[in-house]
Amino acid sequence: MRYFWLFQFVCLLLICSASLPVHAQERYVLSGYVRGGAANDLLPGASVAVPALGTGVSTDAQGFYSLTLPAGRYSVAVSFLGYQTVTREVNLTKNQRQSFSLPESSSQLKEVVVEASGTLEEKLRTPQMSMERLTAREAKLLPALFGEVDILKTLQLKPGVQNGGEGTSGLFVRGGSADQNLFLLDDAVVYNPSHLFGLFSVFNSDAVQSVDLYKGGFPAQYGGRLSSVVDVKFREGSKEKFGVSGGLGLISSRLTVEGPIGKDTTGAKGSFILSGRRTYFDVFTRQINRINEGKEDYDPIPDYHFYDFNAKGNYKLGEKDQLFLTGYYGRDIFGFESPNGFNFNFTWGNTVGALRWNHVFSPRLYVNTSVSYTRYQYDITNKLDQFSFGLGSDIRDLALRTDFSYVPNDRHTVQFGATTTNHRFGVGRLQAGSNDGTVNIGSNVAYRGQEAALYASDNFKVSDKLQLDYGLRLTGFQSDSGRFGGLEPRLATRYSLTPNTTLKASYALMYQYVHLVTNSGASLPTDVWYPSRRNVKPQRSQQVATGVSFLLGDGKYLLTNEVYYKWAQNQVDFRDGAQLFVNNNLDAEFLFGRGWAYGNELYLEKKQGRTTGWIGYSLAWTQRKFLPQRGGTGINEGRAFFPTYDRRHNLTVVLLHQLSERINLSGSFVFTSGSPTTLPTGRFMIQDVFGDDITAVPVYPDRNTYRLAPYHRMDLGLVYKLRPRHGESDLTLSIYNAYNRRNPYFIYFDQIRDKETDDILRYEAKQVSLFPLIPSVTYNFKF
Amino acid sequence: MKNRLFTFSILLLVGTTACNLEKGVDIDLPVAPAQLVLECYLEPGEVPQLTVSETVPYLAPPTPVVPAGVQVVLTGPGGFRETLRNQPGINPATQKVYTHRGRQPLNARPGDVFSIEVTDSKGRRLTGQATMPRIVPIDTVEWKFNDLTGDQRRANLLIRFQDQPDVPNFYRLQIHQDSISDDPNRDFELDDRLQNGQKITLGTSFRYAANDTLLVTLYHLDQPYYLFLQSVRDARNANGNPFAQPAAVKSTVQGGLGVFTILSYRRKTIIVR
Repeated sequence: MRYFWLFQFVCLLLICSASLPVHAQERYVLSGYVRGGAANDLLPGASVAVPALGTGVSTDAQGFYSLTLPAGRYSVAVSFLGYQTVTREVNLTKNQRQSFSLPESSSQLKEVVVEASGTLEEKLRTPQMSMERLTAREAKLLPALFGEVDILKTLQLKPGVQNGGEGTSGLFVRGGSADQNLFLLDDAVVYNPSHLFGLFSVFNSDAVQSVDLYKGGFPAQYGGRLSSVVDVKFREGSKEKFGVSGGLGLISSRLTVEGPIGKDTTGAKGSFILSGRRTYFDVFTRQINRINEGKEDYDPIPDYHFYDFNAKGNYKLGEKDQLFLTGYYGRDIFGFESPNGFNFNFTWGNTVGALRWNHVFSPRLYVNTSVSYTRYQYDITNKLDQFSFGLGSDIRDLALRTDFSYVPNDRHTVQFGATTTNHRFGVGRLQAGSNDGTVNIGSNVAYRGQEAALYASDNFKVSDKLQLDYGLRLTGFQSDSGRFGGLEPRLATRYSLTPNTTLKASYALMYQYVHLVTNSGASLPTDVWYPSRRNVKPQRSQQVATGVSFLLGDGKYLLTNEVYYKWAQNQVDFRDGAQLFVNNNLDAEFLFGRGWAYGNELYLEKKQGRTTGWIGYSLAWTQRKFLPQRGGTGINEGRAFFPTYDRRHNLTVVLLHQLSERINLSGSFVFTSGSPTTLPTGRFMIQDVFGDDITAVPVYPDRNTYRLAPYHRMDLGLVYKLRPRHGESDLTLSIYNAYNRRNPYFIYFDQIRDKETDDILRYEAKQVSLFPLIPSVTYNFKF
Repeated sequence: MKNRLFTFSILLLVGTTACNLEKGVDIDLPVAPAQLVLECYLEPGEVPQLTVSETVPYLAPPTPVVPAGVQVVLTGPGGFRETLRNQPGINPATQKVYTHRGRQPLNARPGDVFSIEVTDSKGRRLTGQATMPRIVPIDTVEWKFNDLTGDQRRANLLIRFQDQPDVPNFYRLQIHQDSISDDPNRDFELDDRLQNGQKITLGTSFRYAANDTLLVTLYHLDQPYYLFLQSVRDARNANGNPFAQPAAVKSTVQGGLGVFTILSYRRKTIIVR
């Protein structure tokens, strides 16, 4: 019955949008792709304008645009910041395909002036709010920890986005937890987007074209997570020439190869890009171990490294068909072997593949259909003498989705589609045994789930002043012990008070059917995903947001203020002491509660000129409440508490400045309120039964009742263009934590003992910081 | 495992900077009312001994705080009722301190239920109840030497016992060397959810030298005591681990903190030859 309602809704959209009064004059569709730069990458968010008519559109996520215009001769201007504007005369006497290729800006330090995708004016006009689009080039200009450019960490500099701790790339968006972000890589889900405890993201900046972050007002094509969508698009590789680029950094090196594939009369039929990187911690630590080999009391440093490979190819099958193939493979590898025979290996990582077929039925209608596979897994193997131990978990998805875009006239853009995903949850796999077979323990907990969604939406230009983007998404999930579903209405509106002032509002309801099993408060490689089941209901949230935007200074500045309120049900946590590993009855460990978050985000950005950047400030509250349940006391006996990612104040200032043709400076400053944490208020002593020394046991009060000191940090960066004989190269200098602030990472209590008697003299609180001032230099090249 | 990984990442990423990233800080911790704390392990055939103390602010001086006016009443099957004497002392066998002591050895069998009530002059009242678990015998303790010679010639231990399938069972294994008053060199708890009703084998690495005297103790725990032990370990480990979620100790008593249980164990003493 519910599917019938959605079907009716789609039909209604199509009928309504197609049957709107058509002007007496003949109207035709002008459509095509917008690409840019030497690599000829597709440019999502580029502006395609017809100044004579005062109309225009932006390219979609695939770089495609479609404009319905009266017959006539027009001058069409296509622009994208950082690229030269291309103007072309078009004589529109029939539906016409016109693709544009924008040359890069002529400035030698293009990146300085080029940043941002889409103009501020376009951002002002769109009904979409609570959304940020970043390019990898923007991230590359900013100072980075250890010189490792990380586009997710750049997103953390936007208002409403918190990190999960010093240096980590985890995102906490508008009061949502880390598992409530949907990470998409060319339409395929990425379950764990980080290396090394979240210190680095899995997205190699050399391979990334752009990232769209949705904090609210979610378009109907997205679903499955409550708090944000991070839509990452890989670059496609140059269609013009073969090229090699890369970088040598403090802890890793990168190499990228790209080039055209095939040729026809119009140029290359496709292109490819292959990119890889590897850290070399292990090279150094092995040397240190070798030097200290044989020394008494020396514990060898474990081996650790990570690597990842990215690949993308595209091929034009014909005028109307194009194929895109994306692949990602990354692993973190941790190994330890002690002289006494203890052997420990821990491997984790993602495997992602996606094949997308783009077909243009007509200038008004095109479709993208993709099949994708994603797997996140970890495996631990442990060997000591004759005993071995193995522990692992994985989640595997096979997904099929199709997305239609239909432009019946210049006032409507209808999008509709469907997606289905087959999940396999390898929740826990344990094998322990001895060589002689006297010990043999095994366990394997696995589930399946099927998730599906249908959606439809319409971007409706009601008038020059009013624009609506409304849609509906029907979602469902079936596991071996439960079936769930729901309707997710979406609405975003824009009303122009003046040409430079707009009001916006949005509403979105979201369901989340898969849950992250963790009680660490941080994203760890050993966290596992779990399906909704009879006793584990789907998470649900609703968010309303409203905002006002002002275009100031002749369009150079955009000032935006947004207010949001989000409320959520069936939020997930776990009872104290929960057994989360290899538990056949994991359902019983869940606790369910509700959460709410609200705040105000102020954002001023400047995207053009020699000096660009932004200032963001958010004032926000996030709370959660878990009532007594399942025979327990819930959390804090049912009292509301602030989760660790609640931050009252968050200020970010980001500045980029082109000092000269060859020198580009950047700096960022972050200030956030202290993180809530749980510290013991009391202690008591326990002697135990036999043998053990007397030990102090901490008594913890309610969760997160203490706040760490505020966090603040300034980073500085400099990009210096070299003049090599061939190609291009630069040196990128970064200073992380420039004034060496000792920000609190955590606090612990130490027992101070008498050196002679070993008696406890007193207890002291100690604050641990993670990163002091860290300078780094990276050499980047391209030829 | 998480601790090891965390320590590694800290070492790797921060150690290279050779900077002092730790400092003492003054913090104002909220003050919570002091609670009575009981630590009582009854043992058949032994005179009951227990310790009553109270919680103190975490940063308070490490001086033991013994509540005033404490009265302890122990009751058991067959109308057994005894008010324990306030008679602080040290158990010569275990070297454990106690504050209260009974008058006669305890008569307890598996399945017997005992209760305890602790009151003090401030009007605080702590109660607890425990059932003595069934005794699980150790079937075998075997050892086997590796193929090495000299100081590297070491033996491992294999301890076997039979799990009963009818109810969830919880165990603790301790291996002491020479004396039970020393720290055990192996000490861990386990449940039977992966080996319900099976013959359970627990082993050690090759760590024991020839002629080592080992005391192998297998406790059969009731669930509250098992949860108490785990929660104490979790609470202690959360101090200094930013990835851990600090959790409250799951006491086996009400009205305060601590443990009241009846020990049920079998011990085998072996000499590794």
